[in-house]
Amino acid sequence: MSQTLFYLLVGAGLWLLGLHGLLCLRQPLRRIMAVNIMGSGVFMVMLALAVRPDSPDPVLQALIVTGLVVAASATALALRLASADRDRAQKTAEEGE
Amino acid sequence: MNTALLSLSAPLLAALWLLLTHRRQAPVVIVASLISLVAAVFSLYQVIDAGEQSLALGGWESPLGIRLRLMPVSAMLLTFTALIHSLVGLYAWRSRHSQTRHTDYWPLSCLLHAALAALWLSHDIFNWYVTLELLGLVAVVMVCLAGPKAYGAALRYLLLSLAASLCYLLGVALLYGVYGVLDVSLLAEAARADPSTRTALMLMTVGLMLKAALWPLHLWLPAAHSSAPTAVSALLSALVVKGPLFILWLLWSRVAPEELGQAAGPWLALAGVGALLVGGWSALRAPLIKLMVAYSTVAQLGYALLALGLMLHWRELSLDAALWLFVLAHGLAKVSMFLAAGEMQSTLGSRRLDSLKGATQTMPVAMFAFAVAGGSLIGLPPSGGFLAKWLLLLPLLQNPAHWPWALGVMLGTLISAAYVFRVVAISFDRARPTSPDFNPDRFAQWLSLLPALLVWGMALISEQLILWLTGATL
Amino acid sequence: MTEWLVDSGLGLALLLLAAATLYAPRLYTSVVFFMGFGLLMAIVWARLGAADLALAEAAIGAGLTGVLLMGALREHPPRTERAPRPRSLLWAALLPLAVLPLLVEAILPLSGGAQPLPAQVDAQLAYSGVSHPVTAVLLNFRSWDTLLELLVVLFALLGTRQLALSSRHPHPPWPLLLAWCRWLAPLAFLLGAYLLWRGAKAPGGAFQAGALWASAIVMLRLNGLLPTVSWRDWRLRLPALLGVTVFVLLAVATWLWGAGWLVWPPGAAKALILLVELAASVGIAITLALLVMGEDRELRP
Repeated sequence: MSQTLFYLLVGAGLWLLGLHGLLCLRQPLRRIMAVNIMGSGVFMVMLALAVRPDSPDPVLQALIVTGLVVAASATALALRLASADRDRAQKTAEEGE
Repeated sequence: MNTALLSLSAPLLAALWLLLTHRRQAPVVIVASLISLVAAVFSLYQVIDAGEQSLALGGWESPLGIRLRLMPVSAMLLTFTALIHSLVGLYAWRSRHSQTRHTDYWPLSCLLHAALAALWLSHDIFNWYVTLELLGLVAVVMVCLAGPKAYGAALRYLLLSLAASLCYLLGVALLYGVYGVLDVSLLAEAARADPSTRTALMLMTVGLMLKAALWPLHLWLPAAHSSAPTAVSALLSALVVKGPLFILWLLWSRVAPEELGQAAGPWLALAGVGALLVGGWSALRAPLIKLMVAYSTVAQLGYALLALGLMLHWRELSLDAALWLFVLAHGLAKVSMFLAAGEMQSTLGSRRLDSLKGATQTMPVAMFAFAVAGGSLIGLPPSGGFLAKWLLLLPLLQNPAHWPWALGVMLGTLISAAYVFRVVAISFDRARPTSPDFNPDRFAQWLSLLPALLVWGMALISEQLILWLTGATL
Repeated sequence: MTEWLVDSGLGLALLLLAAATLYAPRLYTSVVFFMGFGLLMAIVWARLGAADLALAEAAIGAGLTGVLLMGALREHPPRTERAPRPRSLLWAALLPLAVLPLLVEAILPLSGGAQPLPAQVDAQLAYSGVSHPVTAVLLNFRSWDTLLELLVVLFALLGTRQLALSSRHPHPPWPLLLAWCRWLAPLAFLLGAYLLWRGAKAPGGAFQAGALWASAIVMLRLNGLLPTVSWRDWRLRLPALLGVTVFVLLAVATWLWGAGWLVWPPGAAKALILLVELAASVGIAITLALLVMGEDRELRP
């Protein structure tokens, strides 16, 4: 099995693990991490495809950089949103008491 | 082509101006939408005159660079987007109940406009990923404008939208691994029906269906669309869900090899019928006004998916025209419905459907707009919804073997008639009308009627529209 | 043989760390595992010869996301969290297991796919204005993607501004950490500037530099050396929006007075790319710092 194929499979495995986590976990922070692991899986697949004997494919590398920044921004927003939602839940719970 | 890009940059520059000067000037946004509308109309004329156009950004030809492409459908969608943004912008500015006047709605709606324009013009599968993320994020942020009660729905929307993007991106990675290019036209030339391509298309389809809230992946939509502020709900239902649908259409009608398309067609069509029935049934049972309108979006998207699936299966190109007519008619009708519903719910002081009792008396114009828009959703002649449905039914009725699909469309029509008439019937119950909390806002009510009248006006240009769409999508 | 052993060890460790992240019984352990996962990913990418990506992943993927997760965890120490029941774990495994054979079938033929693009990049590199291929793709060949991506970063900031955030009271950091930060912050600034400058010909570039500058800003803020500036102040808004604004204005300018949208004029390509990169990294640095530190009074009008 070549290096490329091995890392392609690892990437697919990570993507599926993330998907499984997203399907069965309920805690928002964990779901956010699950989505991030899915993302890492896709980037791993892309990088494994980029690896060539001389130097890695620059186009795929650029695409991964773009994807990483997009994923990090979305994660930042999701985390703040999760915190804000939790605040709201706590506030309603206190008001209810 | 430059006019199309101008139509993209006008709202983008307006958004940056608003953010830099930190003002919430509605007129700037409306002027930018109008400039964008004029530019889009010019680009539409150019396409009608000279046919498809393209432009290599940065001067680099594909596959190295990104090539934008202005197709007839994209020019039409560009115009449609600018039109809806101008209408909704006007509403958000003038209505007392838009809940958006003193928020960051203004720069955000401009950015949404620009993101949609970028999506319509793009012709590159990775660039689509970035525009999809833009669209998803700005939509989530706009849902959040409604305040803390919308955060739960927004978070769910965001997580599902991210997961959907990653499904799509894995498909993109596989396609790039097989063919080594990202441009749609080049992919279309190279595509073969091998297992990698099939899996890639499946992954992308699942991602896009999740983003477009196509049944059975629609569960996030009703909560997100109904908890957003009224103007935002209108934009989300009329435009945002159409973005992924556009990509889905191009992917299957241009990139996918014919045999894969033929195999996938019935499944997509089946999902469409599922959407019609399930979405319609949920709309019929929804207790809240805006929730009912949101579920009706789920149902109406079913028609578009059905048209797409059958087009792929039978290679019947008139169904393409049906698909885009549905998108236009539904978009206009939905803007009308959401604006009227939002206006009624804030004037009558309750989000519940029961509170519409006597609305024909207290808010006649808004209720009329709701009913007129509903007529187009049902497909009453001679509305735009009727035209689309007629185009869809023609090939179904010509061949007796196609009766199950025709039955599905009929059942869908029946349910949509039921949920529209349910609202109308409640509003005619004048025995104990809900008294309005405020004086009804006349201007906002008339504004909500305008798009509904436009849908019915589509009938006037029906023949040219159909001929052009059928010819254009060939 | 050893190559193969290292690879398989790294791959398995990645999968194990990912699983541990998802299913660790305590949320805190999960977050720590996640940061470890990100670092290991960066190591694997460096090993595969993608230095740009290793830098980006270490700075953005592991570093920034990890800090954000830690922040979220501290604000809301989770009360009793119910572990998912084994039955639901099994049910949820059905879908991934069904997709697995399809994915494997799709991936097997990929190791030798056609790749016409790298050759084209090599051929056109001389005309792009920079000599590092990844930077050439990001800021010249596919600059439209990068422009839209800067917009995505901006959206995250605008989105955070819309939320009704509780005012945060960060715990005072340890004195030793503060003393270290004083030294580290200038170093991070210099390192970021170096990465930015180097990006034209070697791995590095706007995003990595922006992330480093953001960390420097955060360190200075922890030391109380930077004031809290409100969003109402243009001195905060202008740098935060700088990247997108410069990029969009250049796109329009190249259309009006140049050869076409985003076509860099041949002689000025290098200077323009450097300008865009500089503006973008300033914007990214401010935006990321705000996302990490952003307090109520800083983000609200």
